[in-house]
Amino acid sequence: MMVMLPLLNRVFTGPFYARNAGTFLVLVLLAFGFLSGNEHRALIMAALGSPFFLAIVFVLWSLYLLKTVSFLWQELTAPEHLFLQTFWLVPTPKRVILWLAVQTALLFPVLGYGGWMLQVAAQQGRWDSFGTILIFLLLLIGAGAFLADFRLRHPNPSTLQLPHISLKLPYELFFPTYWLRHEPLSLVLTKAFSGLLLAGVCRLYPTDDYDQRLLHIGLLLAILGHAQVGGQVSAFERKYLLFLPNLPLSWAQRLGKYALTYGLLWLPELLVLLRNCPVAIQPDYVIWLWLTGWGWLLLMHGLAYGYEVLPERWLAGIVAAFVIGLLLIMFGVPVGAWLALGWLGAVAVWYWSFSLVRSSA
Amino acid sequence: MLLLTNLTKAYNGVTVLTVPALQLSPGIHYFRGGNGSGKTTLFRTIAGLLPFSGNVTLDNQYEINRDPVAYRMRVNYAEAEPVYPTFLTARDLTSFVGKAKQTPAGQVDTLAELLGVDAFWTKPTGQFSSGMLKKLSLLLALLGTPRLILLDEPLSTLDVATAARLFDYIAKLRREQDISFLLTSHQDVSLTALDMTGIWQVSQGLVTPAV
Repeated sequence: MMVMLPLLNRVFTGPFYARNAGTFLVLVLLAFGFLSGNEHRALIMAALGSPFFLAIVFVLWSLYLLKTVSFLWQELTAPEHLFLQTFWLVPTPKRVILWLAVQTALLFPVLGYGGWMLQVAAQQGRWDSFGTILIFLLLLIGAGAFLADFRLRHPNPSTLQLPHISLKLPYELFFPTYWLRHEPLSLVLTKAFSGLLLAGVCRLYPTDDYDQRLLHIGLLLAILGHAQVGGQVSAFERKYLLFLPNLPLSWAQRLGKYALTYGLLWLPELLVLLRNCPVAIQPDYVIWLWLTGWGWLLLMHGLAYGYEVLPERWLAGIVAAFVIGLLLIMFGVPVGAWLALGWLGAVAVWYWSFSLVRSSA
Repeated sequence: MLLLTNLTKAYNGVTVLTVPALQLSPGIHYFRGGNGSGKTTLFRTIAGLLPFSGNVTLDNQYEINRDPVAYRMRVNYAEAEPVYPTFLTARDLTSFVGKAKQTPAGQVDTLAELLGVDAFWTKPTGQFSSGMLKKLSLLLALLGTPRLILLDEPLSTLDVATAARLFDYIAKLRREQDISFLLTSHQDVSLTALDMTGIWQVSQGLVTPAV
């Protein structure tokens, strides 16, 4: 068992955290950047005293479980992991223990926060909430392990598939289609986070005397919520479109195609912004903001594409980008400067990386 | 036709391919070597899929890094074990690659019929067998007006009838359009009935004339 667990962790746990580093960062920033320890404690106390509030916490944890299960299912069916079918031959009790260990590792952020809630519940003598949380956490681990083992024992399920569309698919839609068909949860979570965040920020305006900077901060977080997409595009093309570098396309043509792809992926945010545009904000400002976001997405694509970026370095870069971006916004750097910086940066980084790839061993 | 000079390719600091100088004359060249000898790395490097140090020049004119677009317009590549997004069809991929390679009118239909790809033209590649994937990769490698086509293991998984048609077509392209080919194969290349201009041995990352 001690031989198999490290292998399973290398196949599942490490890649899961690496692939979702950007999402984790944004969640950490949201959860701990804006709330102090005392405020979290107050939230935990509120959840312990309210079954409804506790249920909301459980729903959020369940969504996280779905994310881990979706990842496990996807990896189990990946061609490079077909060797894992032999894991089925391991005796059931041993296999279940291994799945429980893997699921515990994947659920670590939830278990950590849950542990804190348990500690507070014990201190406050809220043993009913203590028991409920403990049982729910154990259920999460058990359900995750069961679902992973279920997919192992049912490797070729006749699941609901999106219908095949017989229209000719242009290159610009290759990745969006892949994302929708093969990593739908990642797509939904990324777009839901970004869209809800922007809509929420827009709706904060009537509650106080905010200026344009609040919307700009919302945009910054929405962009950082897409931090992993460049890596996903890169991984998709390196795996399935090996012939791309052989095509006679200039760096500008390639950048143009990615710009169209990202423009399409970023389009829902424009609709969200226009639909929820606060009265205090001019609609043209919203459009400038959206164009700025588009440029910065393209810049992040250029930084991530084609490189084996270590997750911790990428994470550090995102944190730095957030801190610097927040400071610059607070000091009132205008959106025009952000727009120019994003687009010019995207062009410069892409040109530079294209030249570098062609001239390095 | 193709000149490689001071070419080295390394993965994570470990050199896997070293070609101080290699001049290939126009024609059909066969590269042989065991598994992991460096054949695919050599082909991918020449095709412009991998970064490397050194120079690769086609027809004394087009250098792979200095003229990236013109070079890639003239050098095509078919991988040994092709993989494509499962939701895309042969039509989607051919349309994209054909547009980039500036395919002459009627070429796609001719090649699709020759290789039998027309029989599964609008089927998602996720439903392809390995042989069907191979046919599609060969079709993509023949698109446009290349001067050099690299075929990595063209015989593997291809049915006998299609292989015969493919090699007749290669002989025709060689004879009528002066297109050059580089081939690798673990099968008996005499089965192709092609007249080989040169045979090269790839071993431990080195390329030498075969004896």
